[in-house]
Amino acid sequence: MSIHEREDRALRLQRVAELLAEAVTPQEVLDAILTEGVRAAEARAGAIGVLSNDGESVELLAQQGYASATMEDWVRFPVSAQLPMSQVMRTGEPLFISTLTDRNELFPELSQRGQDGSSIAVLPLAVEGRVFGAMTLSFADEVEFGLERREMKIALARQASQALARSRLYAQEQALRKRMTFLAEASELLSSSLDYNLTLGQLTHLAVPGLADWCAIDMAGEDGEIVRLAVAHQDPEKVRWAYELQERYPPKPDQPHGVPQVLRSGEPEFFPEIPDEFLKAAIGDDEELRKIVDQLGLRSTICVPLTARGRTLGALTLIAAETHPKYTEADFELASELARRAAVAVDNARLYGEAEKGANAAQALAYVADGVVLLDSDRVVRHWNPAAAAITGVDGAHALGKPVDEVVPAWASLTSHVPLAQPGASRTRPVTVPLVLDGSELWVAVSGVDFGEGTVYALQDVTEEHALEKTRSDFVATASHELRTPLAAVYGAVRTLRREDIELSDEDRTTFLEMIESEALRLSHIVGQILLAGQLDADAVELSVTEFNPAEVAAGVIESASMHLPEGITLSLNADGAPSIMCDENKLRQVLVNLLDNAIKYSPDGGEVRIRLKQAGDGCLIEVSDKGLGIPSSEREKIFEKFYRLDPQQTKGVGGSGLGLYICRELVERMEGELSVDSEPGIGSRFIVALPSGG
Amino acid sequence: MLCRVNLRASGMDVLEADNGATGLELARRERPDLILLDVMMPGLDGWSVARALAADKSTKDIPIIFVTARADPADRRLGEQLGGVGFVVKPFDPVGIGELADDVLKRIERGEREQLQRGIATEHEE
Repeated sequence: MSIHEREDRALRLQRVAELLAEAVTPQEVLDAILTEGVRAAEARAGAIGVLSNDGESVELLAQQGYASATMEDWVRFPVSAQLPMSQVMRTGEPLFISTLTDRNELFPELSQRGQDGSSIAVLPLAVEGRVFGAMTLSFADEVEFGLERREMKIALARQASQALARSRLYAQEQALRKRMTFLAEASELLSSSLDYNLTLGQLTHLAVPGLADWCAIDMAGEDGEIVRLAVAHQDPEKVRWAYELQERYPPKPDQPHGVPQVLRSGEPEFFPEIPDEFLKAAIGDDEELRKIVDQLGLRSTICVPLTARGRTLGALTLIAAETHPKYTEADFELASELARRAAVAVDNARLYGEAEKGANAAQALAYVADGVVLLDSDRVVRHWNPAAAAITGVDGAHALGKPVDEVVPAWASLTSHVPLAQPGASRTRPVTVPLVLDGSELWVAVSGVDFGEGTVYALQDVTEEHALEKTRSDFVATASHELRTPLAAVYGAVRTLRREDIELSDEDRTTFLEMIESEALRLSHIVGQILLAGQLDADAVELSVTEFNPAEVAAGVIESASMHLPEGITLSLNADGAPSIMCDENKLRQVLVNLLDNAIKYSPDGGEVRIRLKQAGDGCLIEVSDKGLGIPSSEREKIFEKFYRLDPQQTKGVGGSGLGLYICRELVERMEGELSVDSEPGIGSRFIVALPSGG
Repeated sequence: MLCRVNLRASGMDVLEADNGATGLELARRERPDLILLDVMMPGLDGWSVARALAADKSTKDIPIIFVTARADPADRRLGEQLGGVGFVVKPFDPVGIGELADDVLKRIERGEREQLQRGIATEHEE
């Protein structure tokens, strides 16, 4: 070989090296090799094949100069085949065959084809001693592969190997970066809102067309049904069509493949090439569906579960159809990662929703006046709102997480009478029960609902209502008692008078008639006082205010009392300097009559009963005093309470409705005055009415 | 007064006291066959009189019929505890009081004193 030829070869190799250095993508590298490389090698045609991922096949990446019809058969062939490229990949040794005869002898399979070339050189493509592919060069003429020629081809192959490996690495990196970018975008999208219906919908659009021709997300409904949340395709018309299809052919939960299977098992499905059986099984005998599926051109599919905390929430389906290449392991990994992130987002959104609901509920419960106590099935306190704390005197921090019987020892007896309602069942009436806590007694209305996982109780402090109710029932009991005694006398006297089987003396007869008269009056008086007390309670007493001299009213009261004065009692009036006042004259008279009656009644041993009036500031003071039994200091305020009796069993022989002083004080206060008492047991009592001038 | 007239009409001897203390004294002295005891009386009330009678050997067996306007369950239980054999709630028909006294005495004679006593607390107010 001449120096000139050598220089020429070196230049051509250099030129190829320059081109390869500039090439970035595998395609650019392949182009450079198959154009400049082939030319530099003075070959007629060239082809480049690489080992498949599984190392079982040779995949033809590109070719230049061969009849395309010839090459169609060589897109993919086994590494184990008796073919030059397969052999080179197996051995890692270059192969130089100068004649067709040699070639056909070595590789009988080629004898029937590829008659358009003469010599071939097949060179391994390897990096760091690892063969990843092979380059075939075909020559138009028979070539004698001398040492230098061989070396040149080997050098070319080495350059090609490095460029191709580098570009493939670059492509992988690019793809990885693309995936990472996609995942980053997807993550950002998923975290942009807690409305996962929205974000998952957007996610399907993000996946199309970069990751899939079709992308769908289906969720597992509460009752096991499959809910299509979103489906995306570049063509909106097709999306509409997909929804229609879903409606017409809803997925059967027991389907052996696809979303139902993934939702059922929680395991992903990956079909780089959708198996015919799969489609056949899905289509069945439906001719129309078969046409639709054919039209879709489904090629490859990935269906991955959306799994969070061990639960399958839904499934993400990617389908490669008309544009997207078949899915690879890398795509499957990407889809799995995407599904994982989507599931976490859905789970978080749901948890947040539940937490928010819980927080809202807890916040609402904090303001509810009723105590709310939630116990789990082990009777451990799970919720204890502030009202429950106020009622029981045990704060939430102390109660939470502890068995309720430890928190409130009386709990069992408190709730033992409370019937538990079932959720949704009609409400049971709260039961009012006493709750004894550290010596104090509360009345609590309790109702409860058993919701399976525990019990929720509502507590209401009804101590006041209960006391009121007791007062009311006491009022009824006392009032009826007050009425029964005179009634008994009247009824008994009449019944006795009407007896025909006995002869009554005139004296007895007169006594019975007097009894009827006085007891009937007493009855009427008590009824009047009960009615008046009722009106005062209802604030229905009207005042008729006029200007008058209270001394005249007091004189009138004394006068009528003196008509039937018990023995030993003397009455006196001192009204010097009493001013005129603006007031209700009748009501004042009623008060004075009552006070005077009391003074007389509680002076069983007689003595002076006096009314004294005097000016006090602008107003008037009226004192009614006696020298009777007196009132112990502990009782002095209680005597103004309704039905309070100094002497409940009337052992001192004093009767009454128990309403007199209550009515007096209420009336005086309505006239903007004050009624107070001053007394010493055994010495006597003094009731003081202080009335403003009212002018 | 009402009871006196009507009991006498039933042929009974009637002793009357207008307060607890006098009544107690009378009961100790006369040891009547039956006491009609008003709970609400001036001086010693009916409950106190019943207690005093029960504490005294000579009077503890005298049957007592309480007469009262108050008839809540607590009063009835107290009446039972104090050894009452009857509980008459006001207002009542005094015409029938003689018959009631007669009936109570006959039942006690038949040995039904305990039933009468229990009947006080379980009887419903009419």
